[in-house]
Amino acid sequence: MINAFLVFNGQGQPRLTKFYTQLDTSIQQRLISEIFTLVSNRAPGSCNFLPLPPLLAASSTSTSSSSPHEQSDVPSLVTYRNYATLYFIVISTSTESPLALIDLIQVYVEALDRLFENVCELDLIFNFETLHATLGEMVVGGVVIETNMERIVAGVRAQGTVAKRPVNESRTGGGGLAGSLGAGLGMGGMVWHGR
Amino acid sequence: MPPSPPGLRNHKGNEREYIQNCLKECRAEIRTQDMDVKATALLKLVYLEMVGHDMSWASFHVLEVMSSQKYHQKRVGYLAAVQSFRPDTDVLMMATNLLKKDAAASAPTIIALPIAALPHLVTPSLAMSLLGDLLPRLSHSHAAIRKKTVVTLYRLALVYPEALRASWPKIKERLMDPDEDSSVTAAIVNVVCELGWRRPHDFLPLAPRLFELLVDGGNNWMAIKLIKLFATLTPLEPRLVRKLLPPLTNLIRTTPAMSLLYECINGIIQGGILGDGEDFSAREEVASLCVTKLRGMVSVNSDPNLKYVALLAFNRIVVTHPFLVAQQEDVILECIDSEDISIRIKALDLVQGMVSSDNLVSIVSRLMRQLKASSAALQQQDGLPGQEAETDSSDETGADLRRRRKTLEHAPPLPDDYTVDVVGRILKMCSQDNYANMVDFEWYIDILTQLVRIAPAPRARDSDLEASTSKLPGEISEKIGNEIRNVAVKVQAIRTAAVRAAELVISRMESEISSTRPVVSGALKPVAWIVGEYAFQLLSPDDTLQQLLALIPRVEYPEVLATCLQAVLKLFAHVAGDDRALWTPERKASVSLLMARVIHVLEPFASHPYLEVQERAVEFIELLKLTAEAAAGQTASTAEVQQDPPLLLTQAIPSLFNGWELNSVAVGTQQNVPMPDDLDLDEPIHSDLASLLAQADALMLPTQGDDEFEAYYNQKPAATSMSSEPAINRLLDAPEEISGSYQQSEESYLDPDIVARRKADRLERYRDDPFYIPDSTASGGRSTPIHTILQKENGPDLDIDAIPIMQLDLEKINLSGRGTPSNTNPRHPSPLAKPPPRQRIIVAADETLGNGSGRSTPRYDSESTFPTDPRTSSKSTKRLKQQSLLQVKSSHLGDLTLGEAHHKQPGQGSRPADPLAHERQQREEAEMALALKEVQRLRLEMQRANERIQVAQGVPEEGVVVKSARRKKVVKKKTEGGGEEGGGGEGEVVKKKKKVKKAGEGEGGPSNAAPVAVKTKKKKVKRVVRLEEEGSEAAAGQ
Repeated sequence: MINAFLVFNGQGQPRLTKFYTQLDTSIQQRLISEIFTLVSNRAPGSCNFLPLPPLLAASSTSTSSSSPHEQSDVPSLVTYRNYATLYFIVISTSTESPLALIDLIQVYVEALDRLFENVCELDLIFNFETLHATLGEMVVGGVVIETNMERIVAGVRAQGTVAKRPVNESRTGGGGLAGSLGAGLGMGGMVWHGR
Repeated sequence: MPPSPPGLRNHKGNEREYIQNCLKECRAEIRTQDMDVKATALLKLVYLEMVGHDMSWASFHVLEVMSSQKYHQKRVGYLAAVQSFRPDTDVLMMATNLLKKDAAASAPTIIALPIAALPHLVTPSLAMSLLGDLLPRLSHSHAAIRKKTVVTLYRLALVYPEALRASWPKIKERLMDPDEDSSVTAAIVNVVCELGWRRPHDFLPLAPRLFELLVDGGNNWMAIKLIKLFATLTPLEPRLVRKLLPPLTNLIRTTPAMSLLYECINGIIQGGILGDGEDFSAREEVASLCVTKLRGMVSVNSDPNLKYVALLAFNRIVVTHPFLVAQQEDVILECIDSEDISIRIKALDLVQGMVSSDNLVSIVSRLMRQLKASSAALQQQDGLPGQEAETDSSDETGADLRRRRKTLEHAPPLPDDYTVDVVGRILKMCSQDNYANMVDFEWYIDILTQLVRIAPAPRARDSDLEASTSKLPGEISEKIGNEIRNVAVKVQAIRTAAVRAAELVISRMESEISSTRPVVSGALKPVAWIVGEYAFQLLSPDDTLQQLLALIPRVEYPEVLATCLQAVLKLFAHVAGDDRALWTPERKASVSLLMARVIHVLEPFASHPYLEVQERAVEFIELLKLTAEAAAGQTASTAEVQQDPPLLLTQAIPSLFNGWELNSVAVGTQQNVPMPDDLDLDEPIHSDLASLLAQADALMLPTQGDDEFEAYYNQKPAATSMSSEPAINRLLDAPEEISGSYQQSEESYLDPDIVARRKADRLERYRDDPFYIPDSTASGGRSTPIHTILQKENGPDLDIDAIPIMQLDLEKINLSGRGTPSNTNPRHPSPLAKPPPRQRIIVAADETLGNGSGRSTPRYDSESTFPTDPRTSSKSTKRLKQQSLLQVKSSHLGDLTLGEAHHKQPGQGSRPADPLAHERQQREEAEMALALKEVQRLRLEMQRANERIQVAQGVPEEGVVVKSARRKKVVKKKTEGGGEEGGGGEGEVVKKKKKVKKAGEGEGGPSNAAPVAVKTKKKKVKRVVRLEEEGSEAAAGQ
């Protein structure tokens, strides 16, 4: 199952945090900063999987001697993807398929792009409720329920109109922050298509 | 109503203050009565919570907004609950009714809110009370609600397993329904996959339907999950394999989706389909298909993601099919050098299991090269001059290698955690099975010396990260030191080299670490022990003693200090305690000076807080003071009068440390030492200690001489092993080795001084060996014509060391000539069968007594950190209890059996024998309510009856009422009789009811006899009497 879904920007500021277990705010923050450290040190052309951050590694090594069954419960995979200024992170157990998770992130970003028409980081800040709603249409309680983009978008729209960003706060104010994520979507030539 | 961030940007520089203001504002706003303001404030709080500002104080307000009538406010409330409620949030208890109400709402958007929020909030009691409200949602008309409900029920079941039992029939029905919405089916498959690995038996009956979905599902995500599920099912049902193979191989060959392809391969691996079985040829084909695909993924130019997942797959295969992975050694080794740390770590995991004596050197060399480059980069970063001052002599460096080193040098420094991890792995690989894979111990010593330098500087010991204390770098350098010590103790042949290495480490530590900084390296402890214990093998004990004395005041950790103090005295005993040298005035002066120096260094520790240090310091100071007095009293010998040095110096102190040789002892051996019967611990050990000491001296000294004698004549010069091995062997072993020769690759990861020392050693050793072609630069005119010819013919690229060297095998001659040499270990019965270099190196096994708890040979002694150790494994099981962060425990589900649920038809859920607790509970509740109602009504009737008895006889209308009531009761009683026995409370109620009912019957008289009443006719009179009694009592009351 998926243990957490995180989005943060290039400075490590969280834009979306969703933990599928109840976790103290301070621990959440520590985990985010550990993952951010890992992610920001990646060389270009690296793979989309991170080694376990110390916070998770400490607990998973202690269970290494346990049965394989126990291990399927332990978060063991950190998948990330970078779009423009944003990092999308999925922490999951070994029951998820790593390559499919990369696709899942892609679906999520594409869905946001569809909802916001050319999504950028500012949209996420002003509409982080929509961000949660979109994720809620895809993942419930750590289990993926939908990977079809049409249905995801329809599901979010059914909950009400998606607010656009305020006009006076448009991209001019955004500066460096507002790099379009759409640019990241150009990389359609991926080898795998999990959907 | 945008939350704070835009404002944040307008307040660059004082964000903190701005956020504090924001929080203050929110605190005020959330207390208002205006729901809109309240919800907006809450949304802001949720945003701030995401950035790290606790909002647990607002949990009651969250509840308020959750119960709002407006959807968009309610949604904010639910979001806040999901994001901020923790296991200890107490207001959750109050939310139960709200959740129930919203789950039963008419608008699907509202229903979805509690369903999506529950997985984040659920507790066993909440799950129990909400289960009944969720079950009907499984047949909601909206597919979106159905699929979310399925998942939520799964999460409920994780904390409250009964939920699964109650909902499984319905979920199964949904899964089997071919007309079900495809996304609901996919969601169910996801849930079944999550459940599947935990309880595969329960899902075997579903296999046909799942297979159907796999073949014509068309949804890749679902197909992946199905394959994963089947991988857990096939071990239970081998017949599935035959059915699965065709579609899987078909998918592998045709699918354009890499993720699906990978999961197919993975499924085949995990499902044990590769395993041996009757249909061998087909499996062979599949196996080769999979492995070729995986190999393609790992190979150099492929996508890094594919590389990573292929390594993951290999990591799984290696457990069951090590030979398949071993075939891919070349590509896997390539991955160790990947720039990507994730890939490196996975490759390392694999490699660790593949180590053999053939590839150990090449694997470790790769790792060492990385570490070296990283530490060099780190030093450059720190502004220090790089260690790598290209000192290569012209003929030894291939251009290829140089290029390689260049690129590595520019690589960024590795993170400390990774470095520590790699060092740990190197040590583990080398020391595995009591050094079973180690061929060249001298090389190992050099590696260790290098590692001590590379090992990252330890962080402060009192770091707040308790979780990572086991990985403190201070410990890693101690581990390295322990390895040097282990080799010195266990491998006699190499002891000299190990001691020299220790000497080097200490001198380097003394010279490199500036005199103001504390010494924190954990390596000092074992290294100091070595120089103390084997002082007689040191190159210059005087210098080492001075260096150690210089280091001691700066040592940070008391444990290290204690060992160092001991080492100092041992060294002192060796340096000053020579009893054969004359007691000249010079000697007297120097010894006195040395003692004064040692005492001066030790003095501060006489009041050290750490008792071990304090005790040793005090002891040694007193001993040395005594000795100093004795030395001062002993006049030096002159030309005429020969004086002996003081006995205290030459006899007493050295004899403190001379004894039996210390060997490594297996863990737990101490417990096996039997207590001698005649041992009386209160008795003085000896009445005359002095004579005993003298005796011991007389005994010990010759033995030591013998040892040296033997070592000199019977043992070969240490560590001829690697270098004397025919180079051709190495070429055969590691044809892919990138660097052309062994020496070259060594230079790429060893510091120049270590390499130089190595070369000098080799030169020394082979000076008289006619078969060894010495380095032309070093040997001046001794270069042979053949050498120059060769060089001319083949150009400078020729690698001299790669030329096979004829070796004169003295061992064979020995064997035929005379008996086995005394140092050949009897554990090697056929030395000829072993490769020549291995014969010389004897690794002492751990000593142990009996076969009790102490395990012997394959372990070595410093390794409380290795998983095989019983102590650590017990520790790890203890730690196992501590759950991993983020982990959702599903172990509760293991105790649940779904078996009955499978046999049961959905319609017949209310059978008396039904063990389903949830339904039973519901039924009981309903019965209880019904029964209470009845009791109340009957009580009313009884009252009326009393009045009637008092006032008049038999009003017909009332009789009708009574009759109808009784009829109901009879029906009721029947169902009760058919149902299983109720709980205690219910029984009581039933009893009451019966009593009341009987009273009613008695009152009604025989004329309205119901079937039940007929049976009890005989008792009727009595009852009427009792009724009358009651009636009279009531009357009396009135």
